[in-house]
Amino acid sequence: MTSRKLEITCILLLVFCVAALPAAAQSFRAQCPPSTITHPGDNNAEPAYNGPTQFTRPTTGTQQWVVPTSGTVNGAIKCQQVSGGDGYMTEADGTQTFMFSFGPLSGLADIASGNTGAEFPSVFNTPYPGTLVRGDPATTDGAVTGASPGVGVGAGTAFTWNGAVGIAPDVIQTLAVSDVAEGAIPAPGTAPHCPAPTATTVTAYTFEPAGIPVGAQVTIANSPASAAPAPAGFLGTFTVTCADSNVISPGGFSQYAFQYTDSTTGLGSSTSLEGTTASTPPAIDGHVDPRPIMDIGVMNGNIPGPLLAFDEDDEVFLTLTNVGMIMRPDLFEQHTFHFHGYPNASSFYDGVPDASVAIDIGASFTYYYMAPDAGTYFYHCHITPPEHLQMGMVNQLYVRPRQDRVPAGQSLYTSLGYQNGISEPTTNPVVDLRTACSPGADILCSATMPAGGATANTATRAVPGSLCSNPAVNVGAVVDAAGNGVAPDYVYNDGDGSTCYEVTYPIQEHGFDPNFHFVGMTFNPEMFVDMKDKYFLLNGRSYPDTVGQCGGSVISGCAPGPQATVSSDGTMHYSQPLPAIINIPAGGRASLRLVNLSVAEYFTLQTLGIPMHVVGWNAKLLRDQAGTNTEYWTNSINIGGGESDDVILDASDNGCGSPGCAAKLYPAGSVFYLYEPDLDRLSNDAENFGGMMTEVHICSSVTGGNTFGNSCK
Amino acid sequence: MKNALSQITRILLQTVLVLSLMATAHAAVPGITGTTFNLTAQDGYLNQPDGEAIYSWGYGCSVAPAGFAPAALVSVSVCPTMQVPGPTLIVHENDTVTINLVNQLPTAAGNTSILFPGFQVTASGGVVGLLTHEAAPGQTVTYTFTASQPGTHPYYSGTQGDLQIEMGLYGAVVVIPATIPGNCTTGYHSAIAAAKAHWGEADFRLAAAAYDHPGSCYDREYLFQWAEMDSRIHRQAQAQVAAKVGCTAGTMGCSLNVQTEPYHPAYFIINGRSMPDLMDPNYASEYPHQPYNADPHTHPGDLLLLRTIGQGRWQHPFHEHANHVRILARDANLELSSSTTPVSYTTPGGTAVSGPGLAGLLMFNTDTTPGESFDGIFYYTGRGLNWDPYGHHPVSSSNDPLATLPCIPDVNGYNSAATTAVNFFEWCQDHNKPVEVNPFGDVGAGGPVTLPDPDVVTNGQWYGGTPYLGPDASLRAKMPTCVGSPNGTPNPTTPSGGAGTPPVNTANCTTLNPANTQLNPANERGWAFMWHSHNEREITTNNVFPGGMLMMLLVDSREFVIDETL
Repeated sequence: MTSRKLEITCILLLVFCVAALPAAAQSFRAQCPPSTITHPGDNNAEPAYNGPTQFTRPTTGTQQWVVPTSGTVNGAIKCQQVSGGDGYMTEADGTQTFMFSFGPLSGLADIASGNTGAEFPSVFNTPYPGTLVRGDPATTDGAVTGASPGVGVGAGTAFTWNGAVGIAPDVIQTLAVSDVAEGAIPAPGTAPHCPAPTATTVTAYTFEPAGIPVGAQVTIANSPASAAPAPAGFLGTFTVTCADSNVISPGGFSQYAFQYTDSTTGLGSSTSLEGTTASTPPAIDGHVDPRPIMDIGVMNGNIPGPLLAFDEDDEVFLTLTNVGMIMRPDLFEQHTFHFHGYPNASSFYDGVPDASVAIDIGASFTYYYMAPDAGTYFYHCHITPPEHLQMGMVNQLYVRPRQDRVPAGQSLYTSLGYQNGISEPTTNPVVDLRTACSPGADILCSATMPAGGATANTATRAVPGSLCSNPAVNVGAVVDAAGNGVAPDYVYNDGDGSTCYEVTYPIQEHGFDPNFHFVGMTFNPEMFVDMKDKYFLLNGRSYPDTVGQCGGSVISGCAPGPQATVSSDGTMHYSQPLPAIINIPAGGRASLRLVNLSVAEYFTLQTLGIPMHVVGWNAKLLRDQAGTNTEYWTNSINIGGGESDDVILDASDNGCGSPGCAAKLYPAGSVFYLYEPDLDRLSNDAENFGGMMTEVHICSSVTGGNTFGNSCK
Repeated sequence: MKNALSQITRILLQTVLVLSLMATAHAAVPGITGTTFNLTAQDGYLNQPDGEAIYSWGYGCSVAPAGFAPAALVSVSVCPTMQVPGPTLIVHENDTVTINLVNQLPTAAGNTSILFPGFQVTASGGVVGLLTHEAAPGQTVTYTFTASQPGTHPYYSGTQGDLQIEMGLYGAVVVIPATIPGNCTTGYHSAIAAAKAHWGEADFRLAAAAYDHPGSCYDREYLFQWAEMDSRIHRQAQAQVAAKVGCTAGTMGCSLNVQTEPYHPAYFIINGRSMPDLMDPNYASEYPHQPYNADPHTHPGDLLLLRTIGQGRWQHPFHEHANHVRILARDANLELSSSTTPVSYTTPGGTAVSGPGLAGLLMFNTDTTPGESFDGIFYYTGRGLNWDPYGHHPVSSSNDPLATLPCIPDVNGYNSAATTAVNFFEWCQDHNKPVEVNPFGDVGAGGPVTLPDPDVVTNGQWYGGTPYLGPDASLRAKMPTCVGSPNGTPNPTTPSGGAGTPPVNTANCTTLNPANTQLNPANERGWAFMWHSHNEREITTNNVFPGGMLMMLLVDSREFVIDETL
């Protein structure tokens, strides 16, 4: 009897201890609210841009912030989860290089096929239906040891899930209820700081903080064997209307209380209840199971880290989960994300550990951003930057303009006027100042109205299956995976169509110093002064890995897949998901989103044959305050560490004269090159061939979409 | 005697007049003023944060200068006989400027000189050298030019530049424009002046505009000169100078033979100092030969003028966190639109002035290039964050009136009319918008984000302890401190709620004390943004991180008084 009582006490204590930990004590989590005050309603698709978002602001009550008017809301919600840890990649000379690096913990299938891992809430919040295994998606795909890029996808089952790793329904939280009272609170009980109870208001008292927010569902139940149950009228599932702490229960104890409204009256009060519980239903609310996070996240480093692309007007929830660096158990390295170039950033979400918080091993932190102006940015770790950037914690990021969401055939100039407050449609009459650019008052905006007014700027939103170049002088097409025509898009809100492209490719220039990486893997002091890059990388690969087995000539249907590396855990991991091959439909234009993340070198990229049209610099449209485009033509471009620019490789054959002219400069089937003209960098360490180079393929059509993962026909 | 006395009185009166004029006419980036500058080139030691004192050469004042600027810094200003960078020469457009340089370098260092790129210079005295007249050891050379172009200009040695510039012989000329466009002193700029006056903040500017152009207005300014040092070169020069003390100038062997290649710098400096020394005050006594700091501060809405010069051998990608920079000019040449349609520059309540549109790049990485200067404008407002950085809340349960301030948007969306308010220049669209779902101190519920458990993150030295800006918002938003055991056990008090108002959930308490009293003290609680070289190995000092080319921009809420003398 005594032992049994002790056992019960222990169990009760255990329950108490576990329940006393508030939700915040869980250190891994993945936030992705399906709706917010800025984006109420369904956020699982991008609405068309038909004018600025309209707002109203309540002038009474506790919620005097602007709320958008239904039907005018622009943008949606995107979420991504990324692991911070370590891993290995494969250099083009076969060397395996140790990295500190980021890896995907959401959108695994999309990342592996060369796309962004930023997902809508409905995708992100979908738990994996089975059990993830170490190395996924490479393991399920059947990637094999030593495979070259593209051969990595083997005989396994194609991995298609894009949810957040670890996401799981939150456990049912159960609390013991000691007292319940309907209506007035009998002495010595005190009323919580809540609206005065009505005849059907139930006040329930607990010994622990309920942790149930107002508005949440709570289920009140009795255990079947209870000797002192609550009367049946109190039982059922209700909505919490108020919660408070430090109140006295009718039984005379200092306790927590919450309230709900039931359906019957005259229940009175009951004290000293036994076996009566309040429980919350299971929900997908950011709770994760840490096991799959560690299974997938450890040794899962990618170079570049997971691509993040989203649309202007989106709200973005970017979760960084620090899984630790298993190869360096001596280090207790924190990690952060710095969204490089984010305008008017808050220091809290700027990712500089000195100015904010850094994420410890075993913890997650969700960065929150309202999408900034369209353009090419990147994000990287800001802990000891000379070390963590050289070691590989560098990811790509770009923002698509709202001009992409303008309905087909509509005037680009008029649509730019909507966001700049030049003239508004009758359905959306008030300008959204957040999107406006007024050069005489704001020295830092670039999306001014193009010179010449509406008469000089007649470009309309391109339609699916068309080309930017009008009339087309050389005819290709881009089709999606289903075979449907893909409309050209734009790099910026230009209002004149000058930044139109058919295909877009984020290209990261980087350099690895094998010496430094060896030092980083072992336990030696690091020398920054002597840092010298020996591997010169485009998207984490040197030539010929940049083009995989699709190089040398146009091979119909060939698509370089993710490059896999067998890690020190003996498992294949996709280490370099992005190729760097540039497929352009004949007559088309490719937007290259160039960034340099080397910590030591300026790099130049040069083209042979196809001219570069530089349309953006540091995530801003090249346009002066008077509306004149300051874009320029070149065949080479030099950028330093931390810089980005937007280049359009223009293979539209506009130079050849009339439509259908015989002498096409860039006919389907031809191959051009993009390389670093400092020829010392066309090497892979001791190998005097390779380095920072990739191929540009002109295709009769491009299938599988307008970015990496597509293939040339 | 009487005459002499009255003359002295008259001079004193004139001095007072000049000083008072300077106080109202806004002075500048720290430097020396006048039209004739008597400079010397001497050797000395530069202090670095690793404890090294590096033998260097620098320009300095051979006699006291005519004056110092800005006026608000005069009380602490000095001009030593050797400093790196050299004294910043502050002149006015169209001034005739004369520089007398006496060569007091060690004799073995040989001749020296100064080049003033961008000006038509007449040189006299000394000896004719390769690029200009040079002063032999002990000699004086004179350079005269008209300050034809406003803006920021470099000056540096024109003799054996690979060694002498590396050793520290460089500096800046700042030319104040002759006319200030009317829009630069009205509208936002007069509102910002009123806000400064309200909080008792001095004006540390040279002028209200960088150029005779309505797009070049600014509200505060900083000068950053970027360079690097290979200490091997400095040690070699020091050893050879020591070995040749007493040699006769011009004789065989009375010269240096220092190898300036291969170049392997380990010190990456801004204004002669490395992080963290560069955050110490201007003219701090610890750095007798490095008087200029690099410690930028700003308030929301202020236009910040960056005057930047590449003084070393290497390019450095200067990354400004927090916003873009509009390049106004390179080497003091304004970059303007080719369009004939002017832009009307105006801010609410201000004068409109038309001028050619600016055409300079908008950059978040502003390359510094050897020998090149650029002027750029930066600002910070918090526009588009989608949450209220001040943590405003329409119902304050802590009875803090600052929690419930209004935000009245002007035509551009800013709270620019409330010049005496803490939230002057707040971006009003996000007013009252919370960042977090659940209550966090007094800052309201409903926002999209759940802030992290403070136990699973590590706080930075500049982190104010909350996501919010300014001492009031940070204190107000701080989680209640736990009493008793950690992890959310009850606190004994419940803030007043009463019927009709929701209670505050004190269960979300924290055991963390994030307050940092040194780098971001309780009366500041600014938002810190790193401004640094993005060739990240350059944010080290002799292989140690952090160091080198790294500074922190502090965006301070209005009630914090930015005092550049500190």
